[in-house]
Amino acid sequence: MRTPYRPRTFVLELVMVAVAVAFLFPVYALVTLAFKDPGQIANAPLSPPNPPSVDSFGTAWQSASLGSALLNSTLITVTSVVALIVLGSLAAYFLARRASRLSYSLYILFLVGIILPFQLGMIPLYQLVNDLGLLGTYQGMILFYTGIQLPFTVFLYTGFIRSLPADYTNAALIDGASHLQAFRHVIFPLLRPITGTVLILNAVHIWNDFFTPLLYLGGSGRETVPVRIFAFVNEYTSDYGLVAAGLVLAALPILIIFLLLQRYVIRGFSSGLKG
Amino acid sequence: MASVFERPVSRRRLLQLAGGVTAASTLAACGGSSSGSGGGQLKVIGAGSQEAGLRKALEEYKAKNADFDFNLSFSPADQLQTSLRAQLAAGNAPDLHAVYPGNGSAMSMVQLSKAKLLGDLSDQAWTQKIPTGFKGAYQQDGKTYIFSPGTSVLGAIYNKKAFASAGVEPPTTWSELLTVCETLKKKGIVPLALGAQTPWVTQLINYALVPGTVYAKQPDFDDKMAAGSASFAGSGWADAMNKYLELQKRGYFNANPNGTTYEQATSMVGTGKAAMAVQVSAVLQAYRAAAPKPDDLGMFPFPATDTVADNWIPGGIVVGISVSAKSKKADQARKFIEFCAQPDVVNAWAEAVACVPLYSEGEAKVDPVLKPFLPYLADNKAVPFMDQRWPNAEVQPTHFAVVQELLGGKTTVDGALKKMDEAYRKSA
Amino acid sequence: MTTVRRMGGRGGIAPPWMFAVPALLVYALVMLYPSIVGAGSAFTDWSGVGEERSFVGLENFQQLLHDDQALGALRNTLLLTVAIVVVQNGLGLLLALGVHTTIKSRMVLRVIFFAPVVVSPVMVSFLWKYVYNPAPDAGLNAALGAVGLGALRQDWLGNPSLAIWSVAFTVIWQCAGYSMVIFLAGLEGVPPELHESAMVDGAGTVARFRHITWPLLAPAVTINVMLSTVGGLTLFTQIIAMTNGGPGYATDTLSTVLYKQAFVFGKFGYSTAVALVLAIFVAAVSFVQIGYLRKRETAA
Repeated sequence: MRTPYRPRTFVLELVMVAVAVAFLFPVYALVTLAFKDPGQIANAPLSPPNPPSVDSFGTAWQSASLGSALLNSTLITVTSVVALIVLGSLAAYFLARRASRLSYSLYILFLVGIILPFQLGMIPLYQLVNDLGLLGTYQGMILFYTGIQLPFTVFLYTGFIRSLPADYTNAALIDGASHLQAFRHVIFPLLRPITGTVLILNAVHIWNDFFTPLLYLGGSGRETVPVRIFAFVNEYTSDYGLVAAGLVLAALPILIIFLLLQRYVIRGFSSGLKG
Repeated sequence: MASVFERPVSRRRLLQLAGGVTAASTLAACGGSSSGSGGGQLKVIGAGSQEAGLRKALEEYKAKNADFDFNLSFSPADQLQTSLRAQLAAGNAPDLHAVYPGNGSAMSMVQLSKAKLLGDLSDQAWTQKIPTGFKGAYQQDGKTYIFSPGTSVLGAIYNKKAFASAGVEPPTTWSELLTVCETLKKKGIVPLALGAQTPWVTQLINYALVPGTVYAKQPDFDDKMAAGSASFAGSGWADAMNKYLELQKRGYFNANPNGTTYEQATSMVGTGKAAMAVQVSAVLQAYRAAAPKPDDLGMFPFPATDTVADNWIPGGIVVGISVSAKSKKADQARKFIEFCAQPDVVNAWAEAVACVPLYSEGEAKVDPVLKPFLPYLADNKAVPFMDQRWPNAEVQPTHFAVVQELLGGKTTVDGALKKMDEAYRKSA
Repeated sequence: MTTVRRMGGRGGIAPPWMFAVPALLVYALVMLYPSIVGAGSAFTDWSGVGEERSFVGLENFQQLLHDDQALGALRNTLLLTVAIVVVQNGLGLLLALGVHTTIKSRMVLRVIFFAPVVVSPVMVSFLWKYVYNPAPDAGLNAALGAVGLGALRQDWLGNPSLAIWSVAFTVIWQCAGYSMVIFLAGLEGVPPELHESAMVDGAGTVARFRHITWPLLAPAVTINVMLSTVGGLTLFTQIIAMTNGGPGYATDTLSTVLYKQAFVFGKFGYSTAVALVLAIFVAAVSFVQIGYLRKRETAA
């Protein structure tokens, strides 16, 4: 329905831009706050900062230890997502391609995980992670995210693989390749679109998760960005400028990645869920 | 490999949360660890509000014992309820950790000792010196499970300049208090800052009033409650809550207390926008940090009635430390507690967290701001914080919630107290 | 690697079990085993710490039926869920229709509306906590004052009647862009020829939306409603970060209640009973919804 640009379209354009301006108001309030010194905040809370002050950013970066938090978050997110892609795609390939009652039950078993609230197993899992000596470690968090996000990942991959014709692998297998070789060289490349979705959805979820890292990493020195920023905000609540600067800094990395990869991210969010 | 990414978390500013006052606002996060983890170290997790004193004691002990080392971290009160509790549940408690005296919260001495998670300290000599009135805070079934350096008091923290500019003096009766508030209000100063969005702050005004409206007349009120022959609804608690609401109706609080946080209230008093706030002495440091000069702030007992003799004060043992029953270094931990219990160490710790030492040899060194409260302690006119005698961990959060409902006009004093009675009657 | 090759579904050669084993092991270790152990404690009076626990049968579930706080939380949970499902998806649809046009700013607008989705809910909550500052000269109240609507200033999170809607609005602000992109994907699947022929037949904008676009959007509606329902029913982080369930009990949800029961009241057994009920409730709602919405899709 690509109609030409008409006066009506112009009116719509104005309306939509107005909506976007209202939508962005909280962001404007936050960003201007971050660039003001306390005097400006008290006297002119909403006007643009004049002159802008960047002092808060340095202090916030230091006090919230955001540098190391970014490294922690990156390490945990990247490793967990890789593990999810490998384990999830292999399992889904099996579940989609083996037609037995057992494999169907297994598929259902995985789906159950999508609706289980994590609170149910929270304390027993915590005990388990502790018994394994993984409390306060990256490995503990990676294990947790891999397990907790597998049902969703398996669900996405299985749906996608079912819609693929089976001939490709058969040809490869008949050529004498092992199952693993066939999967790696033939199937996995075909999964690229859904792998993109799996990557984006899991990465965003893991990067932003808050409660479990608070529980598992609190006090370990390996806290992720949301945990550090939570501590930081609670400590400096009444210092609006500093809190705002901390929030801006903490949100910036993921927003920059989003802006660079916006097309893929939006596609990832909208396409994978057509299950 | 992991150590490449590890950088010590910057030391938190002295945390604001109150000593004897338990649960807090949100699940705030962790403090920094002072050293890496290691085999020979005693693992210690403290509450944010005890940092100044506990760290000092640990460092002093380490200086005197070359083979002693520790790994100390801190959490605000509320995080004790998540991370520390999860550690206790998983059986990997730190060797020494923060515990609240008495009963009334999930992290209190009574609740944890009942779950057999705390080591018995009864064979240490200092436990004989615990004043009778405070035994309930330290002991369960005759055994001592917790060390705490002393009592924090609750009263009004006030901005002397704001008082001076309105020409008022600290009041000694309820009527005087109302007059002072009225004068301040006319002067354009918020008489009382109240940050009731932060749950634990909601209880403080009631805690300040109830010693006068309940305990001065019925010193055995807690025993009667336990026996089932008294109730919140049928006691002076109703007077206290009505007075709380009267302060609101007369417009003596800042606008929208339910939307205002503890930190916002702190800065209002510090800057003189508000004249006073009802608080525990353990948060004095935070208030001083918010004021241009620390000396701008003083404290006075918050009068509950018009009979001066009835105006008792709330004074509670502050958050302490206990040895984990499962600790493999229990001997070391116990020796450290014995060290802490020496009068001069008790006094130094108490001074650092603005509380009155449990006992002292000769004249105790006390933060001068606390002077107006000392006669009450000497005359046995101090009542422990109410929650320390409550039988389960549900009454206190219920109290927080009903006060917010009252301030929001969603319930009546009677309805609020009935809810608290219901929570009280639930088993431990 | 095993060489047993048997025929699988759809004519393929079935992959070996080894492919599923690693995933199954991790899943069983992290989710199944702890959930089963946890569900077991729903029938005990365990405090969450210590060894002491005894079997109490269905007592926790009976208690739940008479627990005013839990029932209030259930009511709040449902109110929040309905508000979020309706408004978030309604707004998402309008935004999608708005940017699925020839307006010049359409690509920029998509990015703007979607951006909050990728930010941590904790940070979004803190942002809105500032926006909802009750002081007349800060955040939303200041903006209202600046545009001459000072009379509408509110104590957004402190007023017990308003707080739940303020929280709902934060969630909607963050997630409307998510609904938008799913609707957009649906809109892009509507063949333009259908609209063209309808226009030739003289159908107006509204009629074309009702008879062409809306029926073809059915799968997108299904996904959006499902996602926002589960999200609403299990809402936790935003509430803990913004109101902690208050003022009073005004914004407590089932998730915050079960958290408080476990960590504040020391009633772990009861807390897992609430969690179990929540899990079954979410499953039942999803099941009914998917049945109804799928039927609607095929009927369309």
